[in-house]
Amino acid sequence: MKKILNFTLNGDPYEVAVKPKTTLIELIRDEIGLTGPKVGCNAGACGACTVLVDGKAVDSCSVLALQVEGHHVETVEGLADGEKLHPLQEAFLDDGGYQCGFCTPGMLMAAKSLLNENPDPSIHEIRHGLSGNLCRCTGYVRIIDSIHDAAQRMKKEGGES
Amino acid sequence: MSEFSVIGKPIRRIDGVEKVTGAAQYTTDIKLPGMLVGKMLRSPHPHAKILNIDTHAAEKLPGVKAVITGPRDTLGVKYSNWRRYPHLMDETALAMDRVRYIGEPVAAVAAIDNDVAEEALSLIEVEYEILPAVFDPLEAMKDGAPKIHEGPTVRNNVSEARHFEFGNVDEAFKTCDYVREDTFYLHSVVHAFIEPYNSVARYEGDGHLTLWTTTQTPYYIQTLLAMALGLKEGNIRIIKPHVGGGFGGKMELFSDQVVASILSMKTGKPVKVELTREECFEGGRRRHPMYYTLKTGYMKDGRIIAKEAKLYTDGGAYNAMGPTSLYLSGFFQMFPYNIPNYRYDGFHVYTNKIPATAMRGFGGPQAEFTCDSQIDMIAEHLGMDPAEIRLKNRMEPGHVIPGLAKVESCGIKECIERAMESTGWKEKKGKLPKGRGIGMGCYGFMSGGVFNWINSPYAYSGAMVRVNVDGTVNVYIGSAEIGQGSDTVAAQIVAEKLGVPMSDINVIRGDTHTCPPDLGAWGSRQTLMVGNALIMACDQVLEKLYKTAAALMGPNVVYDYAAKDGRIFIKERPERGLDFVEVVKAAIRADEGNQIIGRGYYTPHDKGMVSPAYSFGAQVAEVEVDEETGKVTLLQVTTAHDCGQVINELGVEGQLEGAFVMGQGYTLSENLVTDQGKILNPSFVDYKLMRAPDVPENFTSLMVETYEPEGPFGAKEAGEGLTNPNAGCIANAIYDAIGVRITDMPITPEKILKALDEKKKKRQKDKRNE
Amino acid sequence: MRDFDYIAPKTVEETIKVLSEYKDDAKIIAGGQSLLNILKQDLMAPEILVDIKNLSELDYITYDDKDGMKIGATTTHHAVETSPLVLEHYPILAEMEHTLAFPQTRNWGTIGGNLCIQDPTGDVAPILIALKATVKIVGPNGERTLPMEDFSVDYYETVLEEDEILAEIQIPAVAPKTGIAYSKFRIVEGDAPIVGAAVAFTLNEDGTCADARIATNGTAPIPLRIPDAEAVFKGKKITDALIEEAVEIAGEAMECIPDIVASDEYKKRVAKVYVKRMAKKALSQIQ
Ligand SMILES: Cc1cc2nc3c(=O)[nH]c(=O)nc-3n(C[C@H](O)[C@H](O)[C@H](O)COP(=O)(O)OP(=O)(O)OC[C@H]3O[C@@H](n4cnc5c(N)ncnc54)[C@H](O)[C@@H]3O)c2cc1C
Repeated sequence: MKKILNFTLNGDPYEVAVKPKTTLIELIRDEIGLTGPKVGCNAGACGACTVLVDGKAVDSCSVLALQVEGHHVETVEGLADGEKLHPLQEAFLDDGGYQCGFCTPGMLMAAKSLLNENPDPSIHEIRHGLSGNLCRCTGYVRIIDSIHDAAQRMKKEGGES
Repeated sequence: MSEFSVIGKPIRRIDGVEKVTGAAQYTTDIKLPGMLVGKMLRSPHPHAKILNIDTHAAEKLPGVKAVITGPRDTLGVKYSNWRRYPHLMDETALAMDRVRYIGEPVAAVAAIDNDVAEEALSLIEVEYEILPAVFDPLEAMKDGAPKIHEGPTVRNNVSEARHFEFGNVDEAFKTCDYVREDTFYLHSVVHAFIEPYNSVARYEGDGHLTLWTTTQTPYYIQTLLAMALGLKEGNIRIIKPHVGGGFGGKMELFSDQVVASILSMKTGKPVKVELTREECFEGGRRRHPMYYTLKTGYMKDGRIIAKEAKLYTDGGAYNAMGPTSLYLSGFFQMFPYNIPNYRYDGFHVYTNKIPATAMRGFGGPQAEFTCDSQIDMIAEHLGMDPAEIRLKNRMEPGHVIPGLAKVESCGIKECIERAMESTGWKEKKGKLPKGRGIGMGCYGFMSGGVFNWINSPYAYSGAMVRVNVDGTVNVYIGSAEIGQGSDTVAAQIVAEKLGVPMSDINVIRGDTHTCPPDLGAWGSRQTLMVGNALIMACDQVLEKLYKTAAALMGPNVVYDYAAKDGRIFIKERPERGLDFVEVVKAAIRADEGNQIIGRGYYTPHDKGMVSPAYSFGAQVAEVEVDEETGKVTLLQVTTAHDCGQVINELGVEGQLEGAFVMGQGYTLSENLVTDQGKILNPSFVDYKLMRAPDVPENFTSLMVETYEPEGPFGAKEAGEGLTNPNAGCIANAIYDAIGVRITDMPITPEKILKALDEKKKKRQKDKRNE
Repeated sequence: MRDFDYIAPKTVEETIKVLSEYKDDAKIIAGGQSLLNILKQDLMAPEILVDIKNLSELDYITYDDKDGMKIGATTTHHAVETSPLVLEHYPILAEMEHTLAFPQTRNWGTIGGNLCIQDPTGDVAPILIALKATVKIVGPNGERTLPMEDFSVDYYETVLEEDEILAEIQIPAVAPKTGIAYSKFRIVEGDAPIVGAAVAFTLNEDGTCADARIATNGTAPIPLRIPDAEAVFKGKKITDALIEEAVEIAGEAMECIPDIVASDEYKKRVAKVYVKRMAKKALSQIQ
């Protein structure tokens, strides 16, 4: 029996009917049709499905859709401001923070969550902040650098405005 | 080199923006109207005869649109990449009368959704007669062991034996001051790409089919699918969207691709088959476990005179790319050294486990672990520095391996020296505090395999370059971007050749209907082979443009012109030139509007049995070992890699780092554990991949630039070869730290403690005996 | 995953009512970090999930000097990890939470869910035992309170009846001159522990041991408190020799289970190393 769910996705309010067993990733990908967050393991171990709920990273494969009732969900699609990329995205581009790109949407959202909480993380803190996200291509080094770089860019931007 | 505009410059990849915004589409993101879900039923037995498959109940379930089995609904054609050597083709999409590993697909359904599909699978009744199974290659080779395949060329489950030999090994051993023999065991790991296997098939009717799939080899899929379905190759269109990693695990035709196609043909609807992570383990591929024996003869001064390598590999239930892993393991065993007398014997043995196949390094990681470990043992025996013995035995540019290879460029000397210098090797080796140690590993790798298993009449790589009237350029390539950055490298090569900005290059790829055939992404071949094809295509374009420029400007002959920075000009007098777009327009007009198209291809000529060129490198790792728990921590890693001319530095560094961390996992944590053929850790919770906090904080990549005459702009491989030295390098560092040598991979903390215990016991015994 | 019905009660009272009605046809879901994996593998097929994740009544962290800390069961790991009260009064708890699972798991998973899943390798229970925590359970017949070490029964099994929930974790104020340490062994960072150990010492004015607590994870079907090892220290000055003695006794109590990662002997050996290290660390923290 489907239930009604109200929440916001990348700032837009949604009212949808979902089966109780629908996970958040299934809602986002299969019902709503955004394809940024990916399914890598469907067990909360790879982080490819990472989205933010109220600004904090969660594995959307391990959250029931009905549990985000009244919450704010953000996916990688909500990261850029129109054409203007988020500093994290700019840094990933400049510093080689991705290769095949499959883990990237989750990586970026894990990084966003980290920076929301700690705008000036040390390399050590970044490494630990990414422990839930697997990347098989990069060996993480460029990703860690990219996030560090993004934090610097954001500090600068913040300072200027 | 400063004369380049885009080669070797730090530039963004062309697929960047779509990847960081989440817009990039992978097969898994494809949704077509009316699309059905396909799912496969897998064997629960490692070895069994199929007596009967009853699909009635499944067919009657509402929402089920088709149920297929091997004998009833497939042609039963045995396929694999071995079209040139049909005796090696041993696999079918669905089992015909027998299953040979747990996880082998037996039947499949198409249904309106996943739940219905799963329920339908549970309603299929398969009657099995269980057969005796065998899981270890040494057991499988014994007389009386269960026979896994019946083929006339299979003896004692050995599907392929490889032998090569040069010099006079037996005589050489007699002349050596010392001969030592060591045995090693290498375990199994999986590719663990993050995007699971998945495919969407749409039958277009009348023998035409489109398949979207996650693959490293669209052209192989096209030809083999044609074979499996009985369709014409040219009527099958393979589209490779973005691919979430491959590492050798996506270079063959897989059941999901065939099954999706057949289900679509049966139902007239698009069908998507997507494997779960668990299925990727149980119905996927893995790297070969190997029993390895090395016998090496050497002199007091450290010169290695003769070597004999013998290995038995656990190939699993089907050949997959095993015979090549086998061949290459014996081949890379020599690298990067000058071994005057060498003999290799390798045996590919069937077992009732998932098939093993190519995986980043293609037999090299196993070879270099044994080679690097043994060289350090020899160095210790002689009281030599491990770096010095490596330098002493290294290959030189121009090195010839009789009957197998000719190495043109070779920067191994510089690599070893720079790695030593950068890490302070001389100050550290043997001198670090107890519990800390430093080790070295070296390697050489191919830049593109000279292998045409698939028996393609086409060139190894093809390329087409079309210059549009406004000076923008369309580049058509059949190669497979799977994350390694090859599309960007292709764009860079064309931008450099034609002197146009990167932003004016459009790369059209991953579609067998629009792109030239190409053997795909394996064997580190794309930069070199596609690069050369592109250069040929660009040269054709330039010839036309230079002719036009010459006609417009005056008497200079064609070869006096150059293209750079949006201009075509006289080489010796750069100030005399024309705008690129102006020349393009004139050239099109002058030729009655005929498009400007250049076509190129690359097929290696006279390059030996393996590769047109070889990359080299040396790696140094510093580790800390907790002697109470056996845990190894990597403190620092330095790699010096010779990839010829660097085309994209960021790309090369990313490849090197990624390759190392994969090797770190191979050495320390990853292990595909099976019991009676059943995989015990088929998930990312239980299969332990390295995570961000585990990688060395200090990672240095040094580029040693050489010039490779066969490579585009002098470039060679980067990124696969570096997977090879990691295990030996780490093992050597552990030995330096605590004096124990692990020859049985993976190097777990438990094995380290056991070895420390044994060492202690031995020391006490020695003391008592004194 | 099989289909199920879903209800999200607004209060604890309502939750108990629903549970009493459905009995073992119902299953509680908090963060679902563990439960969903179980449901996805069809290892369990509840008819209805009772969602307590958004039950604000159980989401709190309070502290006063007399009663110590109270943590509601649906408080997320992340909230515990970053709570100023926790950081001030039980920094070891925050430190442990910081290394538990992944940021994603901590952001959505709850401390109550962690205890209720009763994974023998769980990080939370050993520290709570070392901190002398108690747990408050609410059911149709009211409340009951148990010492933490009495909460677990067996692998993935606790004392909870099907109509009861874990409501609160209570941690007494830490006595002066107390040192507490916890750490765990794993091969890959961010991974679940293979084994771990928590040790707490409280010293008398004269420097002798007034109280000791030793608890380990991954060493038995349940989090293991080891009173015999604790007893070694009572009334004595803590020395390396005493620690060694306690470590041996602790080892006797462990019944490690071999798995694909490590043998039972190895696990026991490493767990003992961790007991020793944590004992020394706890001691070093007492001023
Ligand atoms: C990938 C991964 C890694 C992990 N790593 C670690 C680790 O390193 N260390 C560690 O300690 N744990 C680890 N865990 C376990 C994790 O901490 C717990 O799964 C999480 O905290 C459980 O909380 P939850 O709210 O998600 O519980 P749920 O999954 O919602 O529930 C778990 C169980 O408890 C029951 N339950 C939940 N709350 C209550 C309640 N208040 N009263 C009665 N019953 C209740 C549920 O019915 C269910 O049976 C890991 C889990 C995953 C998926």
